[in-house]
Amino acid sequence: MANIAAKRIKREFKEVMNSEEVAGGYIKLALVNDSWTELQGTIVGPPDTPYEGGTFQLEIKVPETYPFNPPKIRFVTKIWHPNVSSVTGAICLDILKDQWAAALTLRTVLLSIQALLSAAEAGDPQDAVVAKQYRESQQLFLLTARHWTNVYAGGPSAIWEFDQKVQRLLDMGIDEHEARVALSHYDWELERATEQLFS
Amino acid sequence: MAETSEAKPSAPPPGGDAGEDDKRDERMLECNICLDTARDAVVSMCGHLFCWPCLHQWLETRPSRQVCPVCKAAISREKVIPLYGRGNTKQEDPRNKVPPRPAGQRTEPESAGGFPGFGFGEGFHMSFGIGAFPFGVFTSTFNFGDPRPSAAPRGTAQFEEEQFLSKIFLWVAILFVLWLVFA
Ligand SMILES: [Zn+2]
Ligand SMILES: [Zn+2]
Repeated sequence: MANIAAKRIKREFKEVMNSEEVAGGYIKLALVNDSWTELQGTIVGPPDTPYEGGTFQLEIKVPETYPFNPPKIRFVTKIWHPNVSSVTGAICLDILKDQWAAALTLRTVLLSIQALLSAAEAGDPQDAVVAKQYRESQQLFLLTARHWTNVYAGGPSAIWEFDQKVQRLLDMGIDEHEARVALSHYDWELERATEQLFS
Repeated sequence: MAETSEAKPSAPPPGGDAGEDDKRDERMLECNICLDTARDAVVSMCGHLFCWPCLHQWLETRPSRQVCPVCKAAISREKVIPLYGRGNTKQEDPRNKVPPRPAGQRTEPESAGGFPGFGFGEGFHMSFGIGAFPFGVFTSTFNFGDPRPSAAPRGTAQFEEEQFLSKIFLWVAILFVLWLVFA
């Protein structure tokens, strides 16, 4: 790994560890290997969002050309959000692409991702299905996001009705996550989800 | 935010308590890209400090989007100010040093003078000049870059005559070439 990249990541790591956000438990950063090329980030869901109370893991890959090019970051924890792929966890955030600036750090990037959870950018979606629900049936979107936070990120509020529907499909022998994805895609209409799963 | 001062695991750094102020002073002189103390320091018009090699690499990485890495103001190589500290005796503009990078530097040729048509004339001689009569004429007519001074000033009778002759020779030469090609 290029000298400047490793040196900078080491500095940033120290800085994050001493930051108020870590002290407050809002973000976390951990090393995955000792070559400083891969890290694991953690953010907690911001208050007053459907992600509140959830803990979300992020995969951070530091390119050799860092900090001249942005780190590659994706959600490992499954999340229902217009700017995050519900399948791959890929994030659509301008500072991770063409708006990257070399003075941004892992700390500022993690905080930006956290801010994205508070204010989605529906105009620039990563997941078209989620974005459509976000625009057209806001209430259903909030419940679905809260349900995913509960199931995958340890969030506190279970949605009883959704759990029941997932269970119905489980009883038919369908994989749990597959069932949840189908139901989420079809606005929790059991018939349409079933139809799609068995077609 | 909750007070978590007692939960801080790290012991004070060796060398005693350096003091927050000293630390802050040091950080003021850190390059915004490598986060190290700025070397060959330059400052942008928006007031942000960088090592010149770091800023140079940033500008090279995105040639189409030359913005300050901190505040995204427009930035350019010409509009940064080198900083010279007291310890710097040579006061060399860091922009004149070549930052380490893979691409080579392009140098301008020593002088732009010389005879632009020279090479052309040479080539002509090489390919055609095999002892046939009109070619002497031919080359002298076509050697545009021939540095010999023009024989006669414009407007005189001699000038007109030379022009006439050179036109005749040109036609002879063209006919000869056509003959060579089609014969
Ligand atoms: Zn630097
Ligand atoms: Zn700036």
